[in-house]
Amino acid sequence: MTETLPAKRLSEVSLNEWCRIDRLEGPREDCERLLDLGFTPGEEIIVTHAAPLGDPLVIRVRGALLALRKREAAWILVE
Amino acid sequence: MTTRLSEVESQTRELTLCLVGMPNSGKTTLMNAITGGNFRTANYPGVTVSLLRGKSKAEFGPALSIVDLPGVHSPVAPSPEEELACRVIEGNHARVRPDAFVLVADATQLERHLKFAGFVAKQGKPLVVALTMIDILRRMDQSVDVEKLAAALGVPVVPVDPRSGEGVAELVKTVHKFASAPPVGSALARIPDEPVSAFKVIRDLLQGSHAVRRVSRLSGLTDSHTTRIDRIVLHRYWGFPVFFLVLVSLFAAIFWAAQPFVDAIDAGFSMAGDLVVRVFPESIIARFIGEGVIGGVGAVAVFFPQIMILFFLMTLLEDSGYLARGATLVDRPLSYLGLHGRSFVPMLSGFACAIPAVLAARAIPARRERILTIWIIPLMSCSARLPVYALLLAALLPGAAWSAGLSLAGIYVGSLLIASLTAGLASRLVFSYRKPSLLAMELPVYRTPRWKPILRMTWARGSSYLRRAGVPIMTVSACLWLLSNFGYVPKAFVAPAKMEGSFAAQLGQKMEPMLRPMGVDWRVGVGLISAFAAREVFVSSMAIVFHVDADNDQTAQAGLLQQMRTATFPGTSQMIFTPSSIFGLIVFFFFSLQCFSTVAVVRKETNSWRLAGTQLAFYTGLGYVLAVASVQALRALGVA
Repeated sequence: MTETLPAKRLSEVSLNEWCRIDRLEGPREDCERLLDLGFTPGEEIIVTHAAPLGDPLVIRVRGALLALRKREAAWILVE
Repeated sequence: MTTRLSEVESQTRELTLCLVGMPNSGKTTLMNAITGGNFRTANYPGVTVSLLRGKSKAEFGPALSIVDLPGVHSPVAPSPEEELACRVIEGNHARVRPDAFVLVADATQLERHLKFAGFVAKQGKPLVVALTMIDILRRMDQSVDVEKLAAALGVPVVPVDPRSGEGVAELVKTVHKFASAPPVGSALARIPDEPVSAFKVIRDLLQGSHAVRRVSRLSGLTDSHTTRIDRIVLHRYWGFPVFFLVLVSLFAAIFWAAQPFVDAIDAGFSMAGDLVVRVFPESIIARFIGEGVIGGVGAVAVFFPQIMILFFLMTLLEDSGYLARGATLVDRPLSYLGLHGRSFVPMLSGFACAIPAVLAARAIPARRERILTIWIIPLMSCSARLPVYALLLAALLPGAAWSAGLSLAGIYVGSLLIASLTAGLASRLVFSYRKPSLLAMELPVYRTPRWKPILRMTWARGSSYLRRAGVPIMTVSACLWLLSNFGYVPKAFVAPAKMEGSFAAQLGQKMEPMLRPMGVDWRVGVGLISAFAAREVFVSSMAIVFHVDADNDQTAQAGLLQQMRTATFPGTSQMIFTPSSIFGLIVFFFFSLQCFSTVAVVRKETNSWRLAGTQLAFYTGLGYVLAVASVQALRALGVA
């Protein structure tokens, strides 16, 4: 609570590291869809896999595993 | 609870019950359990998406009409399937009017699934929540108290295991009970639309109800079974070998495993056709029935084994959970081309036959990527081109089996490269106005496939193909038969003894000026026209126009090659089949969309002539231009 790490993009987070969503920054319609899928600010998520070619990333959110492209993961800012 | 009134009502009109939920919630398996497999795909005008429709089993009381709606991730920016599902849920569909909903919710992802439940609950129709994946939840050391959950949500909640059928009778009973008297004050309907606060409300609701229990603080984050498999399947080094193994098996199955069935069906239909012609000799009507109609039915039926095998394997891959993983592996290169990770199945099937491939493109959830995948499928070197290439390569490279084999391999690889290039260019030039859609693909937990539902699903999908594509394909092949067997002489339509007098030949002769630049004469034109029924027909109609008489295919091919080596333009000693003109023909077959069946299926799948017509004109035009260009270039370089 006391120390807040600066926000970074989900595409840059290392594997198997819990992080908390700070905000979404990207095309409005796509961000709305991400919110709808459960990527809401404050939610804790974890990148569990990266595909062998480094993209897409597999992310655990609210009990589900979702594959997001790096481009899309970059819209999610986490701390 | 059944009152007299509701009894009367259920006798006069069946209630329509819609199964709704997110993808992978187990909806379709539940559909199977409620209807006992008695369902079929239903198509409605104006949309290309098909729904599953069936009747509840008699043992579950008064019959309900059950509709399985496509899974919806979110009502925002939806795919065609999601759009249709949302339209039905909101009561805006003219033909499907739901009286009650069963929301199928994955117990391991309650928050996400209840968010969608909020959308359904707002419609003011009776709603029952069917809770699935309880076994997975148990594997994760968690449990759900159904009564507490129902009390918190304000709607009935029934735990079901659609795979074993457990709880299904209870679910249907609950639907009957609540269909007439919708419960008031459901907390679900009060979930706000805006996602951030919606998820907060749901979490508070769930935590306040104490319905979900974890055995220990650490338990219940992941399904260990799935994590273990994913460690291999998504592994940096092992991921691709596993994927290629799956690809090779898929390819082998649709290519070779289907072949005996295809051959048997082919032989059966030509035998039936011959029989009709032999029983009524000299009768043109018998020939029309024998060759045109039975041949046309045969043209549809030969695709059936491949389609069934493909749909079976696709359903299997989808159900087991692997399809999403495979798609994740190849999404990077495919999305670079403007395609979708899931495009790999249709592209692969395209090597066997474009028709099942176009149907397989339905698995792609995004509209733009689906259209683009359908657009490049005709370029994949389908198995109908194989006999044509075999003939042309044998004529081009006489005696050298290995170089013909190598060239054929080159054609296959080339078709994949050209298709990729086309996709890359089209996504940047033509489709650039539409931005690529989000991947956001769920990787479901791995489950051991259940054979019965998969076989039923395969049958439902495959027979839907027969109904949808069958009629246009049969019509086209009957028309082409008429064209190549009837001719017009002054005052009468006749069935000439020789093909030279037929409409097809007359058309070929009219086209002669266009064919000359390709280095061939009208007889090859007849072969090209008849190849629109199916590419391999080129070989047999060439045998007819070049007067090759033979009893079986082997000698027919040898005889045709012999004829081709000596064939000259009529009245001259100029050879028709020179290296350059044969190469030109290969180029033509490589590009052109000589398959009216594909056109018919694309028309059905996209629900408009635009894409189908553009494809036909573009690829056939491109094939012609490139064939002429390569013939002329080769001749300019001194190749005969």
